Amino acid sequence: MTSLLRRVKTTLSIRAHRRVRGLLEGEYTSVFHGRSMEFDDLRPYIAGDEVRDIDWKATARLGVPMTKRFIASRKHTILVIADTGRNMAALAEHGDTKRDLAVLAAGTIGYLAIRHGDRVALVAGDAEHTVFVRPESTEPHLERMLQRIDRNTTTDAAASDLTKQLEYAAKAFRRRMIVFVIADDRELSEPEQRLVRRLCVQHELLWLRIGDADIMRPEWSGSDMHDVHDAAPIPAFLRESPALRAEFAAAVRASAARSADVFDSFAVSSRRVSSLSDVVPGLFRLLEVHRHARR
Amino acid sequence: MELIFWWAPLVWLVVMAVVVVTVVIVLRRRAKARLRAPDSSLPIAHRDRLTALPGYARALRRYRLLLAGFAACLVLLLVAAVALSARPAAVASVQPDLKNRDIVLCLDISGSMVDYDKEVLEVFGELAEQFTGERISLVIFNASAVTRFPLTSDYGYISRQFAELSAEFDSETADYYSGTLFGDGSSLVGDGLASCAVRFDTPEVERSRSVILVTDNLVAGDPIFTLPEAGALARDKGVLVYGINPGDTAAKSYLANLATEFRTVVEQTGGAYFSLDDPETIPAIVDEITAQQAATMEGEPELVLSDRPEPFVLLAFLSLCGSLVLGWRLRR
Repeated sequence: MTSLLRRVKTTLSIRAHRRVRGLLEGEYTSVFHGRSMEFDDLRPYIAGDEVRDIDWKATARLGVPMTKRFIASRKHTILVIADTGRNMAALAEHGDTKRDLAVLAAGTIGYLAIRHGDRVALVAGDAEHTVFVRPESTEPHLERMLQRIDRNTTTDAAASDLTKQLEYAAKAFRRRMIVFVIADDRELSEPEQRLVRRLCVQHELLWLRIGDADIMRPEWSGSDMHDVHDAAPIPAFLRESPALRAEFAAAVRASAARSADVFDSFAVSSRRVSSLSDVVPGLFRLLEVHRHARR
Repeated sequence: MELIFWWAPLVWLVVMAVVVVTVVIVLRRRAKARLRAPDSSLPIAHRDRLTALPGYARALRRYRLLLAGFAACLVLLLVAAVALSARPAAVASVQPDLKNRDIVLCLDISGSMVDYDKEVLEVFGELAEQFTGERISLVIFNASAVTRFPLTSDYGYISRQFAELSAEFDSETADYYSGTLFGDGSSLVGDGLASCAVRFDTPEVERSRSVILVTDNLVAGDPIFTLPEAGALARDKGVLVYGINPGDTAAKSYLANLATEFRTVVEQTGGAYFSLDDPETIPAIVDEITAQQAATMEGEPELVLSDRPEPFVLLAFLSLCGSLVLGWRLRR
């Protein structure tokens, strides 16, 4: 069994992501830790650090930009809510499996959290089961968490029903947490919207939307295709019409815009990602948006 | 409209039933075997993103229409194939017509007969222009018979020969009688008829055979065949003899017994006997002869089945074109 966490770390450290990774760390820090009054130590400036945390005197002394670090006032708990129903075993917009995107996103966030000494918990499930993994702050724990998401999300799993997981999270946790939801990019139903409103009062809510497969993708027009929900085939002869393709693309754009509007109206930071390579920059953008939203 | 292989549709029906049952069974089994999608199939979620689009419904409707049209074309093609394999045929009751007559003109060219011969030739010369399929031969005889030309359907040639003979009759110098004088006597009618009766080639082919014998039956000499013997020969060979006797008139009543013999012989062969005074009446007689031949030849009306595949070939062609066009539209 390959280590999912190692894969996440690898993804974070490949060349294209190295810069973003630093940014991501800085972003994470500034979003969730901010500044306490207790000064901890100095460290070299990393792009993304708050400019007002730069210790100008130390910078002048050392010749390198130095940033002040503060002792976090308290440890956070990051609650990852992941949909592991069979909908998430389907393909994402550009051909990766949505599950892989979810694992990478959860792994990245979890890894950042652990590095900051925060604890990570998981609520995952489908229409029939909801599992809760207690918050902890170790890498093996994060690995187990990722394995759980990865293992449970299969085409044989029960149907997706995020309402169940949202309900669970809304009822089970009194303490304020940072809730990070990983779900697909469909418009929220009325009960889900209510739950989202409730959750974002109780907790700090971030929402990663994973774009669904582009059914009309030209590269796929020759292949069979089926809906994971009921194995119903999507006829290939209809996936070639350019007019329908344009209509579909417009509809998907409109739908994504509507979901984004819904989240905006709840003041919940959300971000849509469509492929594996999109996850890390997407998370960065999500954190950035969240930071700006909080101010 | 009649079907020659009326059982062909039944065979098709059985075959199609077997095929349909087999396909249904196989499909059932396959459906049972896999409720899951094949591994090569791409899993996607929320197909309603596509299927809820009005464009999708339109495309699906168009596809279904095309598919229905395609299926209809195939059904039509199948129907046409079934119909063609059953060999549709038009039924016609056909009277066997007289286009297959063989006529031997058997002319007695003894001096008294020449005028009548000319008239007969003229009438047949005109008739020959309207003939299709009939064959005519010309035999002249006096003491012996000479075949001027054997049975032929070359009507131009026939007309020319008739004209030639008529001209020879008129000419002072021509020896149209050459070769006819080898017998013992003159106007040997029995020998002449016998010769004519054996002029029919192709005895195995079913054709009407008739001899038009123009003579006054005034025999001088010692023939090999008497007229009754010749008549019997003709009857044995299934030859109708039509007799035209210019001698059988009140003016020549001394010939009455000869005329009676002639008439008897002719009627025994199934032919008809005509007496005449005047060469002018010959056209009427020839008409009558041909009409009588028609009457005797008119057998049972035959049911003739002739293949009429045209409408179904057209249907098959059109439906094939249709299915090709629709199939091409479907592929796109």
